[in-house]
Amino acid sequence: MALIETNNLWKTYDMGKVQVHALRGISIKIDKGDYIAVMGPSGSGKSTLMNLIGCLDTPTQGEYHLNGKRVSQMHDDELAEIRNREIGFVFQTFNLMPRSTALHNVELPLIYGGRNREERLQMARHALEVVNLGERVMHKPSELSGGQRQRVAIARAMVNKPSLLLADEPTGNIDTKTGDEIMGLFAELHNNGNTIILVTHEMDIARNADRILFIRDGQIEKEEIVRRAS
Amino acid sequence: MIYWDIFRMALNALWANRLRSGLTLLGVIIGVTSVITIISAIEGFMGSVQAEINKLGPTTFLVVRVGGIITSEDAFFEMIKRKPFEVEYAEAIEDACEDCEKIAMQAYGFSPEVKYRDKKLSNVYIRGAGASMIDIVDYEVEHGRFYSYEEDYGGRRVAFVGTTIQKQLFPNIDPIGKTIKINNLKYDIIGIAKEQGATFGHDADKIIFIPFNTFAKDFGTPRRNLTIFVKARSIDVLDKAMDQTRVVLRAYRHVPYDKEDDFSLLTADSIMEQFNNITRFMRFGLIGITSISLIVGGIIIMNIMMVSVTERTREIGIRKSIGARQKDILFQFLFESFILSVGGGLIGISLGVLLGDLLINLINMDMTPSLLAILLGIGISSGIGIFFGIYPAMKAARLQPVKALSYE
Repeated sequence: MALIETNNLWKTYDMGKVQVHALRGISIKIDKGDYIAVMGPSGSGKSTLMNLIGCLDTPTQGEYHLNGKRVSQMHDDELAEIRNREIGFVFQTFNLMPRSTALHNVELPLIYGGRNREERLQMARHALEVVNLGERVMHKPSELSGGQRQRVAIARAMVNKPSLLLADEPTGNIDTKTGDEIMGLFAELHNNGNTIILVTHEMDIARNADRILFIRDGQIEKEEIVRRAS
Repeated sequence: MIYWDIFRMALNALWANRLRSGLTLLGVIIGVTSVITIISAIEGFMGSVQAEINKLGPTTFLVVRVGGIITSEDAFFEMIKRKPFEVEYAEAIEDACEDCEKIAMQAYGFSPEVKYRDKKLSNVYIRGAGASMIDIVDYEVEHGRFYSYEEDYGGRRVAFVGTTIQKQLFPNIDPIGKTIKINNLKYDIIGIAKEQGATFGHDADKIIFIPFNTFAKDFGTPRRNLTIFVKARSIDVLDKAMDQTRVVLRAYRHVPYDKEDDFSLLTADSIMEQFNNITRFMRFGLIGITSISLIVGGIIIMNIMMVSVTERTREIGIRKSIGARQKDILFQFLFESFILSVGGGLIGISLGVLLGDLLINLINMDMTPSLLAILLGIGISSGIGIFFGIYPAMKAARLQPVKALSYE
């Protein structure tokens, strides 16, 4: 069974007099363990698609099944629980809590997941060790480099062992060398069986994925297979 | 427990904005302090009044020409037209009232000058009272004795004085047996009253009791301000004693059967009730006016929370993206306003109790911290936190994650 299955997904924004169709009937299927890149120019609808897949927003029309659950009809709090358990986000701007330590940032999803303190701290420390930040758990984002911040964000995304890692331009705000490190980390996560969806506009970055989806005008323009999933 | 964690997040957020939180807290503190101060002071004041009135004793009542509950202006003018009291009423009550134990007639005045040799005191409260008065009022004999029925009957110039007279006129001598001059008439001191202490800035020991008949002879009978003090045999027969007294007075004053009494009977309870009535508007008015500052405190909280929600829109978006539900966000912001208001409330209560105490001490009254005021303070401040915090918190909770995340 596919991890992600969308069927004729539409997203329409009502801008008063005109209706803007950000997505025009997207149907995709992503299996567990896939590593997919989504590419497209700005305004193509790739961000809207990511928001729908990430359960941050709901489609105007169409159906979306994640891990067998029909999430397209869920309301706010159910979606919040799905985001908490099934999805880990990595953003271009890191989106860490600026005043909290790395440890607390990583612990946060577990707090909302209702886990107890001991378990939380243990899991958060472990996640930070996985991204090689075991020495910097008590540092605040302002005391870390861009690459380190993004690794904290990845630790936060992965700490709850989600079914899906969603990364939106994860290397957009860091230099190429550090970007390569981050991509290396993604490859490792993929090798460990995690499903990753990566949004980018850089071909070099997209080539790290197994498959690239090209989006234009709210539709899938073409699909390119970089390598066969092993 | 997730709510404990959310509570800690709220505390951290407040701590991160220390100055702003402090100023908001100050707004609540000012509001709660003023309300608690006023309530404490009023409660203390009313308590002292009650204590003062209770000195009359539960079995004693007063018969007065003008007094009691005045319901209208007309009733008041009707009242001051009442006939003056006559001296023989006391005797009449004594004869006819079976359940009255002690009866004493009283007239009073303020003496412009009381002298002993070269020492002088002015404005001394002179009570011309029957010999039973010592058994009716709260004053007790410390040294010497109160005057007798014979001394009253004979109009003897004897005086029973309060401790202020003793302290001011006889600093180092025993005043008993000495002669003082009240308005240039000589009186022999025969006894000293136990100290009463001052209440409401009024010195209850700056007083001289002289026999009623002596007072009548020396100062004239001010018939318009005669008061009859009556002590019933027990609390059970108080009503009967009052009824019997009423019958006597109605007969003596020729009140037709279909007319109301043209005199008033006052007990400690009725005096207190009257005092309550008179001061009710003032008390509620004061509390009402000071409550405005509480509302201002609440508005400050709401304002700050609105700013805070807008400022932290992105933070809310991040929290939502990693799984915070609406109520998680709601409670975080509600906890923040709650901590501010209850924190301000607790500090305000402490300050208010202290200030109330200070105010009350200024007019020489005792005050115990009012439990009512404290509970009210906690209740009101937490209510304010929730009431003024709920709207900003709901606004935060309902933010759309996508919009919140892209907020600059």
